[in-house]
Amino acid sequence: MFWSKTRKALRARGVMGINQRNGDYILRYNKRSLYPLVDDKIQTKQMALDAGIRVPHMYGTIATEQGISTLHRVVEQHRDFVIKPAQGAGGDGIMVIADRFEDYFRSASGRIITTEELEHHISGIISGIYSLGGHRDQALIEYRVRSTELFNRISFEGVPDIRIIVLKGYPVAAMLRLPTRQSQGKANLHQGAIGVGLDLASGVTLDGTWHNLKIERHPDTANPVAGLTVPDWQECLELAARCYDLTGLGYLGVDLVMDHEHGPMMLELNARPGLNIQIAMDDGLLRRCQIIEKQLEALKDETRPVAERVAFAKQQFAVAGPVPAEEEEG
Amino acid sequence: MGSVKLQARLLAVFLLLLGGGSIAYQLLVQNVPLSQDEKDPVWVVDAQVSFSAKANKPVKVRMFVPPLGVGYTTLNESFISNNYGVNVNVEKGNRQVTWSSRRAEGNQYLYYRLMLTPRYADAPENDPGPQFRPAPTLDGPDKLAADALLEPIRQHSADVETFISETIKRVNELENDNVQLLLGSDVSPENRASVIDLLLAVAHIPAEPVHTLRLAESQEQQPELWLRSFNGKKWLYFNPLNGQQGLPEDRLVWWSGPGPLLNIEGGKSADVSFSVHENEMSALQLAQSLRLKDVSSFIDFSLYELPLPAQQLYRILVMIPVGVMLVLFIRSLIGMETLGTFTPVLIALAFRETQVVWGVLLFTSITAIGLSVRSYLEHLKLQLLPRLSVVLTFVVIAMALISLLGYKLGMGSGLSVALFPMVILTMVIERTSIVWEERGGTQSLKVALGTLVAAIFCHLLMVWQPLVYFVFTFPGVLLCLAAIMVLMGHYRGYRLTELLRFRAMVDGDKR
Repeated sequence: MFWSKTRKALRARGVMGINQRNGDYILRYNKRSLYPLVDDKIQTKQMALDAGIRVPHMYGTIATEQGISTLHRVVEQHRDFVIKPAQGAGGDGIMVIADRFEDYFRSASGRIITTEELEHHISGIISGIYSLGGHRDQALIEYRVRSTELFNRISFEGVPDIRIIVLKGYPVAAMLRLPTRQSQGKANLHQGAIGVGLDLASGVTLDGTWHNLKIERHPDTANPVAGLTVPDWQECLELAARCYDLTGLGYLGVDLVMDHEHGPMMLELNARPGLNIQIAMDDGLLRRCQIIEKQLEALKDETRPVAERVAFAKQQFAVAGPVPAEEEEG
Repeated sequence: MGSVKLQARLLAVFLLLLGGGSIAYQLLVQNVPLSQDEKDPVWVVDAQVSFSAKANKPVKVRMFVPPLGVGYTTLNESFISNNYGVNVNVEKGNRQVTWSSRRAEGNQYLYYRLMLTPRYADAPENDPGPQFRPAPTLDGPDKLAADALLEPIRQHSADVETFISETIKRVNELENDNVQLLLGSDVSPENRASVIDLLLAVAHIPAEPVHTLRLAESQEQQPELWLRSFNGKKWLYFNPLNGQQGLPEDRLVWWSGPGPLLNIEGGKSADVSFSVHENEMSALQLAQSLRLKDVSSFIDFSLYELPLPAQQLYRILVMIPVGVMLVLFIRSLIGMETLGTFTPVLIALAFRETQVVWGVLLFTSITAIGLSVRSYLEHLKLQLLPRLSVVLTFVVIAMALISLLGYKLGMGSGLSVALFPMVILTMVIERTSIVWEERGGTQSLKVALGTLVAAIFCHLLMVWQPLVYFVFTFPGVLLCLAAIMVLMGHYRGYRLTELLRFRAMVDGDKR
């Protein structure tokens, strides 16, 4: 039957399913009590700052309806900024202001936005429409990251980001997420952005995925997505690996951005990273996670220094490099 | 992790055994009917006693009636007579009814009716019988004949059982001179039985005649004579005419011992005729009618003991885990998205009151109205809570209008929008609009559709009468469900939708 054939083929490739991710990874490695650390971007940011991890500078937060009137004071020094819900999920509720025009604001896509609209948006954030579970939230106003020119050829508006999945401090998978016209500048795959796999060893882009399909070119710019090298790749991996020591979350999605001035910055953490990265990398997450788990077993769960972990991951998951023999247990 | 998995498996096995065990106990020991439509035969045995009374003399009629609760459950027993006193007494394992009257005249009819069913009956008790009896003294030709007969019987038998059947065989060889001598001119079954009894008595083997009735549709039936003997463990039954051993299942022991069925004083030309009818009764009804008579049945300690309104409620409540289980399958195995786990089940419950087709129409139309109001209000830039409140208010108005319209058009179901579906509807709209806010219109449409489909399936499953009966009658099913849910908690396989989602990765291989 078609289903069982597909099932077997996916198994053989070590593709991870949602049930498996939830049961064997998230439930096992991520303590529920640690979730607020990553679900609240303000807390994440504070923690990263304390640990010396580079994050976009925070201009201010607004937690109450009355606080909305302080918006103009928060942003008066800045021509461009980003407003986010502190507990938003999947990139929803993020408003990027790229410029000002007299008394108006201009969004990243060039739309003119009035102050009222901005305040309404913040009010919506505070009342919790973007937060997980719909409870009250805070609005976070921060530095607007501008991407390196490098990705201009293969991205449409917005800021591409890098998602690295980290298992117990070992990077296991990475992809570059590129906004498209359809995703309206957002780098979230379910909104129509494309994901491009990255070679963990070198930071070179591979082919991509768009709406669960495999693609080779960016749908808007028609340029091939493969063959680009992400700058400061070693730094990116180390930064991601450190987030494990910082949060204690064993199965973590780390989102990084490449600022044109400041280099790699940690944008946010995700305790339930999605599975589409597998299509982007054209490799199963389960296969890779099992390699790390075997290594952890050999080390008897001893925590190794960041550099060593990154080196191990690079050696194991190099696309052109040595591919380990098929795992025994299948 | 491994130990936790093992623990979960053990828990599941434990729950499964517990649930399965209780179902098995109910089925095998308590004989609870497996389905609601299960029918049981109910035998109605009528005995009609007719005689003509002697004028101006007191009448006393004694008749044996079957002992109760042996092999069959008695549903009803009645003695019907005009102007007769009725008295039942028990004597040496037999029951005897006595009809008595100061005076009666002409032809008299007395009726005895017994209703029996094989279900819920206790196994026949084994009242031990005697294993030895003194031999009667015979003399003259009788003794010679008996000895001549017993000699080969002894040689051809090994134990009591074979001895008796050998004896029966011999006595039925009517051309044998010795048999002829003992029987005399009377070759009726009764006489043959008494000759067999005599021979057995000489050999110190106890035996007694039993009179049985066949439970088969019949108009005129006479009790059939059998012989039985206690071998130390159980009673052995023999047919004195052909040596057939073991009482067939459809026999009802009416009385035992040599006494006649009927004993009459103050009457003559007495006659008893039996007729047997087979009726059917649903097993459940049977249990309920037995319960009224304080006969212990499976109803004790089951949900059937609850008062009727509570029973009705629990018929619905016990189906909720079944619905939840279905949603679990739909989500974890198929991967269809629904609004929460319980929402589809709650909608399914609401469908009970609105009927499926009407309910689906109602839900989609009202949800659509609610969502379009919501999308208009978005233009007004209202905050979340006020906006939802307005939406809910309009939902109530829309429902009221639909009910009114339905009533005016003469559609009764328009009015069935009760409080419960209303609450669930508003909740669905609230949740759908939150998904809309968070994930956009397509996603919310997908989720709403998934919820509706799941709800329809849940509803169909939850009102399926055989299943409702089964879960309500065998609450152990719930433990089995819990066991499956525990196991599902460790299910790591792909969802069906994921096979579609990751298909690109496998197609790459084929190229």
